[in-house]
Amino acid sequence: MSENKITSDLLRGHTDTMILRLLSEADRYGYEIVKLIAERSDGNYELKEATMYSSLRRLEADGDVEWYWGDGSQGGRRKYFKITEKGKATHASNISNWEYAKQVLEKLL
Amino acid sequence: MNEKLNQYVNGVFAPYNGVKSVDELQADLLSDLQERFNELKKEGKDDETALEMTIDSIGDIEQTVQEVANLTRSLERQVLTNLSSSDLTNSDFAGVTAHKGKFAGSSLHGSDFSSSDLTGSSFKSSDVREANFDNANLTDCTFSTLDLSNSSFNHSILVRTTFSKSSLAGVTFRDITMTDVKMTMTDLSKTTFENCTFDGVDFTNSSLEGLNLDHQTFIGVKFDKAGLKDVTFKGATLKNVSFKGPALSKRFYRAIKTICFDDARMDKLTYAALKGLEADLSKVTVI
Repeated sequence: MSENKITSDLLRGHTDTMILRLLSEADRYGYEIVKLIAERSDGNYELKEATMYSSLRRLEADGDVEWYWGDGSQGGRRKYFKITEKGKATHASNISNWEYAKQVLEKLL
Repeated sequence: MNEKLNQYVNGVFAPYNGVKSVDELQADLLSDLQERFNELKKEGKDDETALEMTIDSIGDIEQTVQEVANLTRSLERQVLTNLSSSDLTNSDFAGVTAHKGKFAGSSLHGSDFSSSDLTGSSFKSSDVREANFDNANLTDCTFSTLDLSNSSFNHSILVRTTFSKSSLAGVTFRDITMTDVKMTMTDLSKTTFENCTFDGVDFTNSSLEGLNLDHQTFIGVKFDKAGLKDVTFKGATLKNVSFKGPALSKRFYRAIKTICFDDARMDKLTYAALKGLEADLSKVTVI
């Protein structure tokens, strides 16, 4: 359990970047984002709704993402999130920071 | 909608009800949870298991709710401090919340304030031409001594809002219940009012010449010392409306006679006062 906790903390630190990555592929709605993260990590990482919305609201305030109302499935309207140009730049810079950190960590760990 | 799920989420959000950004978060979250719950049911999970798994997927929501509430407050503060004496031509403020915002001496030409909540804000001495205030909450706002030409206020909330001494040419007010709104010392002759209810509205000393006020409702409204030449109130309802002229002003009393009240309905007091001013009340129904 505690091992799991550490892993999940490590991953959670990259929530913003994961979300920006998913939005750089297509506009997506909330549940779609958590579902895709579970699928792509083969169920190893479950992004909680609370963590996702905390990240999305922060990204929105920073101007990295925007949202709009789109058509939903059961007649309801869905809120779609969309990456901005600034968000694309943030994503690229987060990736290069990660590449750098990875190299350093590989030598140190 | 799953009742238990709804109850659970409502319980978590209850302390923050009314903070707009938090209400939105709640709606977003509920929509996601409902979809997850439905999917789990489709996979064959029973109600109890599906509910437990759905609630588990939420995570530490209390913390997120607080973050979101704090984020909103800091955004509101930014809006509060930054907007005086600035050039904000064609700015987009749609949907923002800016209580007691100060927009003094600013250029807001063509700005979009639609669906925003500007309760208590003041717009003094600013250029607000062609701005859009549709569906905005303008309770206790002050729009005085400024140019609002060609702006629109359709479906807006106007309670104790002040429009005195402003230019309102080409402005439209459609589908509004105005409560205790002040439009004094203002030229309204080129303003459009459609499908409005005027409750306690004050038009004292304003020019309403040629204005079409047909089929609208006026309760406790003051038209004292106003320019009323050729105003039409066809089919309108007037209760406790006051038309007091300045002493010895023939111009005011002559103008009263040019007002069209055809098919209007009015209470006895309003009727008696207008009758004393020799208005044409031949087609009026007393209620």
